[in-house]
Amino acid sequence: MVALTSLTLLVAGTLVPGVSDDAYADVRPIEIHNAPVATPSLAIRCGRVLTMNAGDTILDPGMLLVENGDITYVGAPIEVPAGFESIELDQAWVTPGFIDLHSHIQAGGWGDTNDMVMPTNAEFSTRPTIVAGNPNVRRACAAGVTTIFGIPGSGTSISGFGVLLKTKTESTYEGAVLADPGGMKVAQTHNPERRSGDMGATRAGLGWLLEEINDRAAEARDLGTFDPALANLTRVHAGELPVLIHCAGNEGVANTVRMWKGRYDTHCAVSHGSFDGWYAADYVASMGVPVNHGPRTFNFNLGMKEGRFVGTSAAYVEAGVPLFSLNTDAPVIPQEELFLQGSVSVHHGADAYTMLKALTIHPARTFGIEDRVGSLEVGKDADLVIWTGDPLDPRTRAEVVVIDGEVQYQRTHDGQWF
Amino acid sequence: MKMRNLLVGLACVLGTQAPLLAAPASPTPDLFALRVGRAETVSQGTIEHAVILIENGKIVTIGQDLEIERGIRVIDRPDWVVTPGFVNCYSRAGMSSSGGSGTQPSVQASTELYPRQPIYGELLAAGVTTLGLYPPGNQIPGQAVVVSTAGDSLESMVVREGAYLKVLMQSNSKSKKTLRDGFGKADKHLEAVTEAREKHEKAKDKYDDELKKWKKYDDEEKAKKKEPVDPGDFLEPEPDDVAGAFLDLREGELNAMFSIRKAGDYLHLIDALDEEQLSWSLRVPLRNDIDLYEVAEKLGADERRVVVEPRLTLMPWTARERNIPAELDRAGARVVFIPNGDDLVNQEKWRHHVGHLVKRGMDPQAALAAMTHEPAVLLGVDETLGSLDVGKEATMLFFDGDPFQASTSLKAVMHAGDFVEEASAQ
Amino acid sequence: MKTMKKQLIGGALGLTLALSFAAPSLALRVDDHEEDAYLAIVGGDIFAGTGEVLRGATLLSKNGKIEEIGYDLLLPDDCETIDAHGMRVYPGLVALSATTRLTQGTFAAGVEIHDFVPHEEHAEICGDCGKSFEEVVPPALDPGEFSTEHLAVDAFRTDFDDSFDPFSGYMVMALGNGITTVQQSSAAVKLKRGDISGVSLSEKTLTSQSWSGSNPAGKADLREKFRLATEYLADYRRWEEAVKSDKELKEPSKKGIDGRILDILQGRTMARFSANDRDDLLGIARLAQQFKFRPVIQGCVEGWTVAEELGRAGAYAIVTPRTRRDRPETTTYAAGSSIENAAILTRAGVQVAVVPANTSIDMGGISGRDLLSLPLEAGFAIRGGMDERSALESITVIPARLLGIDHRVGTLELGKDCDALITDGDLLHYQTFVQYTVVEGKLVYDKQEEVFYSHIRPRPEAVVDPGEEVSDEVEPVEAEETVEEVVEEESDEE
Repeated sequence: MVALTSLTLLVAGTLVPGVSDDAYADVRPIEIHNAPVATPSLAIRCGRVLTMNAGDTILDPGMLLVENGDITYVGAPIEVPAGFESIELDQAWVTPGFIDLHSHIQAGGWGDTNDMVMPTNAEFSTRPTIVAGNPNVRRACAAGVTTIFGIPGSGTSISGFGVLLKTKTESTYEGAVLADPGGMKVAQTHNPERRSGDMGATRAGLGWLLEEINDRAAEARDLGTFDPALANLTRVHAGELPVLIHCAGNEGVANTVRMWKGRYDTHCAVSHGSFDGWYAADYVASMGVPVNHGPRTFNFNLGMKEGRFVGTSAAYVEAGVPLFSLNTDAPVIPQEELFLQGSVSVHHGADAYTMLKALTIHPARTFGIEDRVGSLEVGKDADLVIWTGDPLDPRTRAEVVVIDGEVQYQRTHDGQWF
Repeated sequence: MKMRNLLVGLACVLGTQAPLLAAPASPTPDLFALRVGRAETVSQGTIEHAVILIENGKIVTIGQDLEIERGIRVIDRPDWVVTPGFVNCYSRAGMSSSGGSGTQPSVQASTELYPRQPIYGELLAAGVTTLGLYPPGNQIPGQAVVVSTAGDSLESMVVREGAYLKVLMQSNSKSKKTLRDGFGKADKHLEAVTEAREKHEKAKDKYDDELKKWKKYDDEEKAKKKEPVDPGDFLEPEPDDVAGAFLDLREGELNAMFSIRKAGDYLHLIDALDEEQLSWSLRVPLRNDIDLYEVAEKLGADERRVVVEPRLTLMPWTARERNIPAELDRAGARVVFIPNGDDLVNQEKWRHHVGHLVKRGMDPQAALAAMTHEPAVLLGVDETLGSLDVGKEATMLFFDGDPFQASTSLKAVMHAGDFVEEASAQ
Repeated sequence: MKTMKKQLIGGALGLTLALSFAAPSLALRVDDHEEDAYLAIVGGDIFAGTGEVLRGATLLSKNGKIEEIGYDLLLPDDCETIDAHGMRVYPGLVALSATTRLTQGTFAAGVEIHDFVPHEEHAEICGDCGKSFEEVVPPALDPGEFSTEHLAVDAFRTDFDDSFDPFSGYMVMALGNGITTVQQSSAAVKLKRGDISGVSLSEKTLTSQSWSGSNPAGKADLREKFRLATEYLADYRRWEEAVKSDKELKEPSKKGIDGRILDILQGRTMARFSANDRDDLLGIARLAQQFKFRPVIQGCVEGWTVAEELGRAGAYAIVTPRTRRDRPETTTYAAGSSIENAAILTRAGVQVAVVPANTSIDMGGISGRDLLSLPLEAGFAIRGGMDERSALESITVIPARLLGIDHRVGTLELGKDCDALITDGDLLHYQTFVQYTVVEGKLVYDKQEEVFYSHIRPRPEAVVDPGEEVSDEVEPVEAEETVEEVVEEESDEE
């Protein structure tokens, strides 16, 4: 737990983006790195290392070397280099830190989740609401969740832009941010209807609200015009920022994919896809849109009345949707129980290893941050978790959690937070 | 059964090809014969080219290709299919009062009967020739009455009073207690009768002793003492309404119809009835997702008479259909149909709805029996109604095809040998 | 060794059984009633719940009770069998505070059972037994003393008997997730699917008492009640001795004594407190130690901070391991919730029962935190350091004890009800499913036959007829043959 120095703040200050005419020259999201801090180099050796890389490499046993916040070695155990702190747990498993693309814990509670001014609020961002290192974040970290997409709620059709954060246990915004803006949050159905005023009580109205603003943003992209309220939305249409769309139900999911992929060809992902949304899985797969599923993971009688427990995670995976991932919609389900979404998905028919991917590399690739997180590979951020066993088993606990090469949580030292 | 030898004779054939002129114009004679394409007797199955001889409103002979004696008028309808009249055993047609909640088993539905209402004529024209009318209310509202829809006065309408005792049953202590209490009261009454009898006998013995003594007294003593009084014959105390009804149930003088709402209720009903030997039937409204199929086998094993609508239901929490009446029939239960609703439209469409269930797998013979013979048995009028048999009332329906086909029309209705004036073609 | 002894006994009993069945089948007939009903669960790894594990063993049930557990049992000819090879056998789970939907069903009669009234008429329960009501209701804490012969199974009734829906869909879901006995309001009810007889097992074994820092007067009041009741009992005992010599001595007056408190002190019911705060827990522990009763504490979120004291008081705790309560920032001592709560309490000698956060059934799609995930909840107790055996007990034996029915359910032991689960793996593992559920010797749930889960990893068909011998040998699959067949088919198409 390293305190940030004033040096870091200064550095952060000089990176504040300004407005320029050439607003789209920048092709990457705004990133703020902490200044390199002297962190001890770590040599981690454990009984099983699940790298979650493209080759699905599993090392039994395995070793990782961590220097300056990144992974510098993944492979069979080697001799611990001089000057490295050694963590050796023979029976333990290591996985990359988990990633939740649909979380509301950045503000610390239920407040500051929804700001419902206009039916679409594409100009909003969750940045001002962030309380880094809040108790929910700390507990999430102790349960192996290391990256979250902290987003606004679903009270309006476009609620704003979210921030990709690391769940550092003691930090500030600058220390924790991974990408800001991380992406856009849309709620296509199943919530905005309840609060929309003059237009948007039905899907016709909601659809129009979204199309109208999207068309304007697309036009702004084509003409190169600038409107501060549309700035980030235009970047979505330029393919620079991903968009996560809360939707559910058979027709809700299909509609979302048809609009955001078919009509606007954005870098989009279906989020939730609950109830009988899985009925549209084939269509979603054919359009190549990833699904970020949760908090509901089975469909019984809502929608097409199955009358049996259909494991919807398994259903989406079987239909071939790319990069299937899981979420908690925390605090609907406590953030620290992200792993449990994997467990119950397996229970209802999904494959365990695929569900581990759904917590790591798949959400990373969904949001284009796989160069930083999502798997244990040389060059990536050292975000990793040491578990006492299978991370999907509730009986397992996290022993050590490392983010950006720093130990954030160590059970033997901090007590068991979860 | 006497078999008559009949000769083919010159019959006055009232032939008619025009579909609208269904019923023969002139009233039928006391003795006449019907020759039809097919008779669905229900009791003896299907008879092709059936010949039915009717005398004084009763069927005297029925058979295939029978020869008819010269001189007997023959009504020839080779394209007609004849069935017994439909029996709707569970209705409140023509009755409008509402009931309360309580146990009043001696209430008779017949007290509410108001003859000559248009509805009865309309039902008759639609083929519903017999009705079982029940009293309104919850718990034990009273006893049903069997009426003929062809009657125009109380006497001509009422066929049988006290057809069944209606009882509403639910799975809870209160419901089961009501039943147990009812039998408890019957038991108490019997005990009271026994006590009263013993008491009377003691009084009788005492009287005999005192009389003997009295006879030995001389006049002087007689003047001082009081003459003993003869207690007379034993007058068995009358049971109150509740005890009386439950005693009648026990002795088989009264049938019960228990209304339940779900499969579990049946088990609780059996539990509440305990060792009591009763004659009873079951009424189960087939609500959308009812789980009655869970006890289909048991109902079949008990050969229980079950009163249901001709309705398909769904498996709970799903959109998958089930044909519960068909399942009940296959399991051995005796299905009794009633229309989907008590209004005229539903009663007119009754056979269409039943036909739909036949299309979906129910045995057509069982389906027809459920509209005729089985309800007649339930109402206790099967000696005269419900099937085409020798000795039964000649109350029947004439169709121009399979009664369960939507395209078929009802051409004529016969009540006790007479054609009803206006038979509406549906 | 206990296991060895069991084997010998098993063998001996088996022999006896065999001998009795050597005679023609007429010999099986009991004079007036139906034949005995047998069910055998064959070849599974039996986790009795007592700590014992018998691998590849057989469990035989007769008329709903466990008759024998062992190896090489000789089974009666007409015995129904369930092939449990490669599977595990566990005791049926006991769920506290379960939703009444389980036994009232989807089509409940409309009578909401909130406050249920137990049967007052002793005669309805016992007939002419000559014993008083108090003598008949078992003391919840001393199973050794209690005899069941007096209470016939279907003589005991509560209001749940008459409103029991034996076809409740929710019941089937619960059975499919391992639950065989449930607490409904204040009664313990067996999930006897398809049967309405003898479903209630006990009632009012837990009596609610209140102890809260927000009500100091209430605490003083309760303490006074206990004091008076204790004094009364002492007076009564003295009188019982004294009256032997002095017949005229009057019995001490019961006036002003709270009957419920007396019941607690005499072990006829247990005091249940709903408490989470450390100070309240301490107060309850001290009250219990002072007046010598064992408290049941529902919630007990901060129990881990005062575990030793609770252990000394002989307390029971009903906890949900995942309950979260943040430690107030102004406190400096241990406070709030801890995932280690259940484990710490257990180690201090507290008997811990586990309940899920949601004691109803979620049908909306959120899995893992409702009644159907009872084993997962126990798994979270293990996460916090509880041992596997205590975790299994927390959802079997301990809740059974709290409901006063541990003489009948909670473990697989001879003489107890045959309520068993046959699972395709470790019951507490997230991938495991209950394949079969047996309640009182009857198979009431088969995963393959019910619509709810049959589509998830269906069981490969290995049907065993009742009475057929179960062979350990499995024919090896000829893998090469299959491949060749496929290749042949392909070439045909060309």
